[in-house]
Amino acid sequence: MSIWKISFQNIKSKPLYTFLSIFVLSLSIVLLLGIQQLKSSFKHQMNTNLGEIDLVIGAKGSPLQLVLASVLHLDNPTGNISYKEAKKISKNPMIKSAVPISYGDNYKGFRIIGTNEKFSPLYNAKLQKGHVIKNSMEVVIGSTVAEKLNLKIGDTFLSSHGLIENEIEVHATPFKVVGIFKPTQKVIDRLIITSLESIWDTHNHEEEIYHGHHHEGEEHQDHHHENHANHNKEKKDHHHENHVNHNEAKKDHHHENHANHNEEKKNHHHGSHANHNEEKKDHHHGSHANHNEEKKDHHHENHANHNEKKKDHHNENHLNHNGEKKDHHHENHLNHNEEKKDHHHESHANHNEEKEITSLLITFKNLAAFLTFPRKINKQTNMQAALPKYELDKLYEYTGAGFKTISWIAYLILLISGMILFISLYKMVKERAFDFALLRTYGASNFQLIKMMIYEELTIVFLAFMLGFLLVKIGFFFIFNILKVNYTQIILQDLSFTEILQTGILVLIMVILSSSLAIYPIIKMNISTILSNEK
Amino acid sequence: MVQTNNLTFQYKKSKHVFSFPNISLEKQDNLLILGKSGIGKTTLLHLLAGLLKPSNGDVIIDKMNLSSLHDNSLDKFRGQNIGLVFQKNYAIQSLNLIDNLQTRLFLSKKPINKTLIDTLLMQLGLDSHKKSKINELSVGQLQRLNIALSVIHNPKVILADEPTSSLDDENCKIVIELLIKQAEQTNANLIVITHDNRIKSFFQNSITL
Repeated sequence: MSIWKISFQNIKSKPLYTFLSIFVLSLSIVLLLGIQQLKSSFKHQMNTNLGEIDLVIGAKGSPLQLVLASVLHLDNPTGNISYKEAKKISKNPMIKSAVPISYGDNYKGFRIIGTNEKFSPLYNAKLQKGHVIKNSMEVVIGSTVAEKLNLKIGDTFLSSHGLIENEIEVHATPFKVVGIFKPTQKVIDRLIITSLESIWDTHNHEEEIYHGHHHEGEEHQDHHHENHANHNKEKKDHHHENHVNHNEAKKDHHHENHANHNEEKKNHHHGSHANHNEEKKDHHHGSHANHNEEKKDHHHENHANHNEKKKDHHNENHLNHNGEKKDHHHENHLNHNEEKKDHHHESHANHNEEKEITSLLITFKNLAAFLTFPRKINKQTNMQAALPKYELDKLYEYTGAGFKTISWIAYLILLISGMILFISLYKMVKERAFDFALLRTYGASNFQLIKMMIYEELTIVFLAFMLGFLLVKIGFFFIFNILKVNYTQIILQDLSFTEILQTGILVLIMVILSSSLAIYPIIKMNISTILSNEK
Repeated sequence: MVQTNNLTFQYKKSKHVFSFPNISLEKQDNLLILGKSGIGKTTLLHLLAGLLKPSNGDVIIDKMNLSSLHDNSLDKFRGQNIGLVFQKNYAIQSLNLIDNLQTRLFLSKKPINKTLIDTLLMQLGLDSHKKSKINELSVGQLQRLNIALSVIHNPKVILADEPTSSLDDENCKIVIELLIKQAEQTNANLIVITHDNRIKSFFQNSITL
């Protein structure tokens, strides 16, 4: 027998009171811990993710959006900027480093970022496995990506267009994982890093698919997929072969082609692709025949021109077709060009300059640049410069007010639960007055009775804290499992021991306060009066 | 051994002063104190138990003057030397029968002797209810538990306040006989305060307030 045992029996004999107390307390603990966890995660994420980025340059639009998209990788980008102009800016002597990034795709909700080798040092990210990107279509992935998607070195995957997971617009060219970063607790953990060229490549392919789709219908799309897959694996050699054939043997063929073309159109495009065989040609013939009857006027115009001067037509075609095309195509055309016309060269030169990126992440050499540089960009170019620290501080101010409000609500609930605790405890002390008096006649001192009450309260607080802690964990687990998209966006900071301790102490103080108020009558108790009033 | 000298008591908000006759009991002496309601019977009992401090006079139990004891030492002395029986019987609700007895011994800092407890419960016919909760016991069983609680720690004095007033004749007899027997066994003085004339015949010594 001990005071502990009496306390324990008391708790056990009042399950409803115990449950109510634990429930009310754990509720306020859940709120306090939950808010703290969100707040610290939010703050942490903002501060660490800035890395060394002093300035972001991107397309005009909301500066906050630009920062969110390019630094925290949360929002959609404002648009694209010209790579050529970005390069020009990078040469400014005030700039220590300028990292271009290009967006556009995701894999299962994780963003794929085209950038260069200077990106990972911004976050101090080191490779855990594998090697850096050497070729196009190779990726290095963050630790969260690797863990969540169970990707290993050598795995390949198909990205989908846009920044949100979807199965409709899937790219045909697979990415290959060649490296995995160590966990950094920064935003890079949930990014897929590739080269700028890979992004441009995928998007050109996509463009082609798009065209093919239009011309030849669904059946042909599959065919194209295969085509491109082949393309990627074999790539340049394959093309060369092709063109060797082409060039040696098929000049006439081209002419022939175009002769056909008068009736049917753009065969020569397909001709430049790998499987230029007769079977396919036929296929194209068929589809284009249909096409001509139904579709696009400009094509007809094209062909009208074509009839008259073939080579010009070629030129136009390539311009239309390529939009922003890629290297191996260039080579393709260069081969062509060797034998053909100069204006081809011109069009491809233009081409290079039309490459676009999403934004440029800049680190300055010194603080003075902060004053002049952003203004210069905003005034003299059609791009905008945003200071991430400034924008995020502003954002934090807004959300900070929200956090403050919720915090106050949590404190209020803590206060209310303290009052509930006090009232039920006070009532219990009154009800148990005879018990206490009896214990006193058995020889118990006031101190022993107070100890008994404190043990009971401590047990309740302890259980409430455990329950609250568990509920917070479970709550976050479920919330992030339900909102799977968000899970890829947020790295949940574990609460530090001090923060848990702070909440614990706060709750304890409140409990001690309400308990001592309730226990006070015990000290003042007149055993004689209580025993005389027995009923 | 219980002794009182010129005991008077006055409640704070009352002008009435209670004054009590001197009591002097030797070893094994029992005493019945009779009186109507409101005459100060319970007040006297509480003075004897040290639950109230007398305005004047002394209570001496086993050569110890209660006026010389304060707070914790008084609690301790009371716990070890006095057994109290109440009109309506009461025990700690959250504990079962055996735990009540053990708590009683624990708080009065007496060794917990299980065979002693078992013997006592056998004598009181409670041995089959050791694990019973308090609210599962009948009035008679509760009364016997109360007697057990008042004697388990070998007190010098057993003070009973109207122990039989709510009992029928048969139970009244059983309870008073048990009380006298237990007092005898533990060499304690038994002082019973009552307005119940049925138990007069069990005592040689009685005073009327």
